Amino acid sequence: MEHAYLGIDVGSISTKGVIIDKKNNILASRYIWTQGDPIGAVKELVRLLEEQFDKESYKIVATGTTGSARKLVGTILGATMVKNEITAHAVGTTTFYPEVRTILEIGGQDSKIILVENGVAVDYAMNTLCAAGTGAFLSSQAKRLGIEVEEIGEYALRSTHPTQIAARCTVFAESDLVHKIQMGHPREDIIAGVCNAVAANYLNNVGKGKKIISPVVFQGGVSKNQGVVAAFERTLGCKVIVDPNGHLMGALGVAILARRGSGRREFDFAVENMEFRTREAGCGGCSNHCEIICVYRGDELIDSWGNRCERGARVH
Amino acid sequence: MAEAKMRNVSFPRYAEYNCAFKYIVEQALGCKYVMPPVLTKRTMELGTKYSPDFVCTPFKTMLGSMIEALEAGADTLLMTHGLCRLGYYGELLEQILRDLGYQFDFINLSEYDMGKKKEYLRIVKRFNPKANPARFLARFMEGLRMTEYVDEITCEYYKNCGFDATDGQYKQAYQDFLTAMYTAQARADVEAGYRAAKRAMQSVPLDKPQRPLRVGIVGEFYTAMDAFSNLELEQKLADMRVEVHRWMNVTNQFLRYGSGQKNLRVKIQDLCRYDMGPTSTANIWYARECAERGYDGLVHIKSATCTPEIDVMPVLQNISADYKIPVLYLTYDAQTSDVGLMTRLEAFYDMIEMRKKVL
Repeated sequence: MEHAYLGIDVGSISTKGVIIDKKNNILASRYIWTQGDPIGAVKELVRLLEEQFDKESYKIVATGTTGSARKLVGTILGATMVKNEITAHAVGTTTFYPEVRTILEIGGQDSKIILVENGVAVDYAMNTLCAAGTGAFLSSQAKRLGIEVEEIGEYALRSTHPTQIAARCTVFAESDLVHKIQMGHPREDIIAGVCNAVAANYLNNVGKGKKIISPVVFQGGVSKNQGVVAAFERTLGCKVIVDPNGHLMGALGVAILARRGSGRREFDFAVENMEFRTREAGCGGCSNHCEIICVYRGDELIDSWGNRCERGARVH
Repeated sequence: MAEAKMRNVSFPRYAEYNCAFKYIVEQALGCKYVMPPVLTKRTMELGTKYSPDFVCTPFKTMLGSMIEALEAGADTLLMTHGLCRLGYYGELLEQILRDLGYQFDFINLSEYDMGKKKEYLRIVKRFNPKANPARFLARFMEGLRMTEYVDEITCEYYKNCGFDATDGQYKQAYQDFLTAMYTAQARADVEAGYRAAKRAMQSVPLDKPQRPLRVGIVGEFYTAMDAFSNLELEQKLADMRVEVHRWMNVTNQFLRYGSGQKNLRVKIQDLCRYDMGPTSTANIWYARECAERGYDGLVHIKSATCTPEIDVMPVLQNISADYKIPVLYLTYDAQTSDVGLMTRLEAFYDMIEMRKKVL
């Protein structure tokens, strides 16, 4: 029986999972929406992965989780590796593209840039206080224009005269966009303008002060949008590589990290039928009122976190 | 004139310096000191509620802490002067507190000409008309000595605490030191506490590799130094087995370089020729110093809307490019969740650790 490795990336918008073998070949993969319920999404994801997975020839010996719900999901799945999404993306991309120098990544709520030299990340930046120019902005604008977010790229490529849209802040961008719609700009041009605005906003914020060197790899959910890819290529003046599995790169990265790590624990698909729930308990130890999250499997407390001092360890 | 009542003086919580404020107020000025409660979410809620939205976070923290000090029984609040917007904060804090209905006496150092020695005497007399200037000066210097000790021990603590080979003796030694400083009533207590801490910390076995990861901290004066405000960034980094170095503290900024940082500017003349704010020269100098010493990374800390530190960032980007040293830029607002910070710090750690193996 061959060894396999599971990697799961639970983001704010989507939940991604892959199972790889020793040589990083993908044995199973799925991409579903999180819909504000990371536990439910992961159980669904595990069920879908099980359908594709050949249990006769492989067994999963290590599991990694990443993304903003990595800790919660890691607890539920009994992960052997819990890693932040920046490292996971860097490891995933450099494994498949050893020559890469710059990784652009735009997800649902965050965006980051990773600079690579000799196969390791040497500098990175991530948006801090504001989620401007991320997937969430694109999907809300698609809704306004009455199209599916998946169609944005197609529309954008049809435009010959992209509309200028203020890119600094999504609140301003939105009012600018409404104004341009009411002035009678064609829909294609507006959508192309939105794509350009996302690229410009990204380069002016997270990309500020960073030297972008080719080869450039673009990933995250927004990389599926041809319009934004074209906008990056035009602005940067170089080819931008989008991997067909770019949306899975975080999950791939953490599966690779789980493989390289020392932790080994056979994964049990039974979790898809287990009942998990979380409860928030306020600690009354002092006026900081730490919000402690308790995770239960059935009635059994399996983990808790959120306290800033030892006093909180007693609250359950 | 009737016998003046003894004042109950307070100053907002600020890193671990409140022990020195206490010492100076009680021993040098002969007043009572009201220790504000430690900073918590409640402090931030109070401060944020009554502050202008776009003011920097330290203002909100200080306002919240002042309200808690007034609740704890303070009748006199002290506010410092400053070289950025901080210089105007005293006036604004006082007005907000008065509008809320609190009654107190407010001593705002911005109203005095801090360049003149005579003004210091006026301030002392305002706290306590019967204060003896000679005695004040002697005990005040002891308070400053305590500040230097706090900075020295804190610096040593964050450099080594991540490598403690025991189950927390190093941290215990640091906490014992702080307790000694918060309870000191005489010079002998300060000296004894310092010596005990030095001995205790040196006796704890450390498990440190030959070339540990070293990270330098630069940034805005309040947020970079106050552990509550930066969500315990230094402890979090240290716990990942990193040597954490920070030059910026009261000792270096005011006691050693109180009359200007011209000598620091010599080394960074090619980067900047004049002060861009209260801490820019020191931060740029120290960032380059870290880069030249081969540190593995820099963390730049500021609160949102801090203009002087925003001005420092382009210079740090140049240093980062010239010396190939990664810089993590962090902007803090009144948030109290550290989940986002942990993601960034873990990624930063992974990066500098993997990088060290290759370069």
